[in-house]
Amino acid sequence: MSAEREESFRRLAWTTLGLLAALAPHLLRLRPWISLFVLAVAGWRLAAERRGWRMPPGLLRGAIAGAGTVGVFLSYAAITGLDGGTALLALMSALKLLETRTPRDHTILIFIGWFLCLASFFYAQDFRTAAWVLPTVWLLAAALLPVARRGRGGPGLHPFRTTGAMLAKAVPVALVLFLFFPRVEATFWGAPSSERALSGITEEMSPGDISDLTLNDVVAFRVRFDGPLPPPALRYWRGTVLSLTDGFSWSRAGAPLPRETAIAREGSVDYTVTLEPTGQQMLFALDMVAHWTPGIAIQSADFTLRTRRPVNAVLRYDAVSSLRYRTADPLPQSTRHANLQLPDTRNPRARALAARMRADAGSDAAFIRSVLAMFRQQAFRYTLTPPGLARDSVDDFLFNTRQGFCGHYASAFTTLMRAAGIPARVVAGYQGGDWNPIGGYLIVRQSHAHAWSEVWLPGEGWKRVDPTAAVAPERVERGIEAAVAESELLPGALMRESPILWRLGMAWDNLNAGWNDWVVRFDRAMQDGMLVDLGFDDPDWRSFAAALGIGLAAAMAAVFAWLAFEHRPRRPDPVVAAYRRFTRRLARRGIEPAVGEPPRDFAQRVRYLRPELGVTVLAITEAYLRLRYGPEPAAEDLQRLRALVAAFRP
Amino acid sequence: MGLRARLTRRTRDWIRRRQGADAGPVTLRRGRIYILPTGLGGAFGLMLVGMLLGSLNYGNNLGLALTFLLAALAVVAMHACHRNLEALIVRARAPDPPFAGSDAAFGLALANPGRAPRFDIEAAAPDAAQAPVSVPATGEAALELRVPTRRRGSVVLDRVEVSTCFPYGLFRAWAVLHPALPCLVYPRPAADAPPPPRLPGPQGGGLVRRGEDDFAGLKDYHPGDAPRHIAWKAYARAGELLVKEWSGDAEAVPVFDLADAPGADLEERLSILARWIVDAEARGQAFGLQLPGEEHPPAPGAAQRRRCLAALARFEAPAPDVR
Repeated sequence: MSAEREESFRRLAWTTLGLLAALAPHLLRLRPWISLFVLAVAGWRLAAERRGWRMPPGLLRGAIAGAGTVGVFLSYAAITGLDGGTALLALMSALKLLETRTPRDHTILIFIGWFLCLASFFYAQDFRTAAWVLPTVWLLAAALLPVARRGRGGPGLHPFRTTGAMLAKAVPVALVLFLFFPRVEATFWGAPSSERALSGITEEMSPGDISDLTLNDVVAFRVRFDGPLPPPALRYWRGTVLSLTDGFSWSRAGAPLPRETAIAREGSVDYTVTLEPTGQQMLFALDMVAHWTPGIAIQSADFTLRTRRPVNAVLRYDAVSSLRYRTADPLPQSTRHANLQLPDTRNPRARALAARMRADAGSDAAFIRSVLAMFRQQAFRYTLTPPGLARDSVDDFLFNTRQGFCGHYASAFTTLMRAAGIPARVVAGYQGGDWNPIGGYLIVRQSHAHAWSEVWLPGEGWKRVDPTAAVAPERVERGIEAAVAESELLPGALMRESPILWRLGMAWDNLNAGWNDWVVRFDRAMQDGMLVDLGFDDPDWRSFAAALGIGLAAAMAAVFAWLAFEHRPRRPDPVVAAYRRFTRRLARRGIEPAVGEPPRDFAQRVRYLRPELGVTVLAITEAYLRLRYGPEPAAEDLQRLRALVAAFRP
Repeated sequence: MGLRARLTRRTRDWIRRRQGADAGPVTLRRGRIYILPTGLGGAFGLMLVGMLLGSLNYGNNLGLALTFLLAALAVVAMHACHRNLEALIVRARAPDPPFAGSDAAFGLALANPGRAPRFDIEAAAPDAAQAPVSVPATGEAALELRVPTRRRGSVVLDRVEVSTCFPYGLFRAWAVLHPALPCLVYPRPAADAPPPPRLPGPQGGGLVRRGEDDFAGLKDYHPGDAPRHIAWKAYARAGELLVKEWSGDAEAVPVFDLADAPGADLEERLSILARWIVDAEARGQAFGLQLPGEEHPPAPGAAQRRRCLAALARFEAPAPDVR
């Protein structure tokens, strides 16, 4: 292969590598056909460059582009938006690769690569993504270097290393921009919709939904408590209230209901939640929340906290909850009605059972107790992998399968309550949490997802009843690992077994928590605090401008000094420098060595012109020649030469 | 003249007024280095704006961090681009005079006093550009600017632009030198010239006679002396090249006279003279040149050729071709 082809191949390999690195976080998320297509094209293109195959003709490329766009549209129902846009960008980058020849093509690919990096942050801002993207940005910039060059070769130019040196210089400038660029609430185009399929609690629950979540070890939110940690049995994180049912699944009530009030009794806890993006409008708080960061959410009639826009970025909020509370009497008529609603044609056996049991029990409280006893005493089993249920899901569960997860029990219990005329609803959220002793905070994972019931009793108001606790009390007390059979493998099982891995896992989570707190959640309030610390009282836009200006000036000066240092002239040999000082002094008296005149000849000439200087001049010249050309010059010789020159005053 | 061309002219004039003429080696100091983003730099800027708006719209801090890192990289690239030229020492050298119509190959030496190498330094003069070169740390690189010549006389290299787009092509830094470096341009030897006249005439006329009949002595060898006249025996003895001289021989030594050269105008006649000179020198013949008010007595060799062609170049020379 000719040198030119070799170089062209190397350029293409760099660009392709950078592009693939930028695509990597998306490849698992994209539809498989897109990922496979991109990988196949990249492989083919490199092979074609190596072997000198012909590129596909423009017509074919155009046809593939058209088909790909249609494919993306069919797969994502849109070619705009984050998912569709990213898919299209990935597809187009692969097609661009097929026609990449000129520096311009390379540049476009590299720019697409940077955009893909940005897109991966729109999906996840965690530490892992950032740790992947930074080297990718580096690689892409390194790929741009040979592409943008007009010359070739050159002494010691390694694109990756040279770019690394540039990035190192860029970091202080970027840091200043990051710290002092004022964060503004800005919406230039449609707010990102909750199109993203994030796992987590949603506003709708079908049997089996939550057991899927349990296999997911991803962090839902982290909580720092200002005070003692509440006991596990009271760690109920209310997310959403599902009071609408069609007999199979449950969903959130659409129509607004009159506001109710909760009266705190005791056990006030103060805490800060750092919530990972959910794509939902719900916030999670311990029952019963009393205060929260103002303006961040409003409380619905069902005591849940709801944000104005879907939570698509890490969100932090403070809250105060009362662990023991009572809600106000009486229940508004419309709320009572909504929480008694059951489809007439569904689950007939369950409704008959409820009527019979209620009649036997005599009171609402006794009825609740007898239902819980039924779950506990009869052959109900708590399992992560319950069998599927028929359309009348409660009937199927109560009389057939009798295996279920929290959602099944909550659904069945609530249905029985309603059938017996007790206002009841399903509450979905999380229960429990892992304590991270390294960071001193509680980790609530998707695997802590839980559903329970709430019933309204006269004189007592809304009361939490967790039917799962009747079947598997360990679930509430010690977490899900304790509640399920050994054979049901949960994620992170290995981690929990090994103390070392467990500690490593906790340290990693602590790193992610710090990342969230200091980088992802770095907001205007933190900026204001920082400016106050820097001595700006009451920061306004002028403080930002000043801090940004001063910071940038300092960072630029550092860049400038660094480059100047790299380009500093080579210091002359000290011996030569001393001799040069000597000739300069003579030159001031009008005696200059001619071009090519040997030092000894020059010394003789000086002696002839200025006999009184003769001895010193000869001494300096001989010392210089000894140091320059003599064998093993000693350090004292240099000192003597310097002293002679210093004392030389022609 | 278009707006763009006018703007370019104005800028050039302004730079010229600002910097004045340069003599000798020029060190590219900060004051004479200009820098602007390239088209690619503009596209990069647009990409950054898009990324910034997207990140702000989604309230995405890491997106902002990425945008700022790339922006900072561009800023560093700008400094590096500027630095890539700064403190370079540029020396321009006049080339050997070309014949009109061929290129005057001005030499440009770039010296890098710093410890970091310089990459992709380009040089351009009007109508002449040179592929980029790299200059090693504390080293030198040579460039050649081949300025095409149009007519006899002289061409002056008045504007040299030394530029670089290194590292990422986002910015272009350039410095302008005005070396005012003249280079003679010989008349182009006529393609088909009549043979020079062989007129026996009086001294100073067409021919000078010098004999080849009797040995008259030895003289120093000059390039162009006929090899058959070299005293090889003397060379073997003393190691010096000597040439035997003869008296009374009949070889004609031509003195080319402008008056003898046919042609429609001065330029054509000068071209014919140039042809005679070049041919005579190539044959190793001695020759002289006679121009109105200027006389070059006959002599052989390259120095004589240079002298005579220069005389042709300067004779009633048109205004220098300033580039």
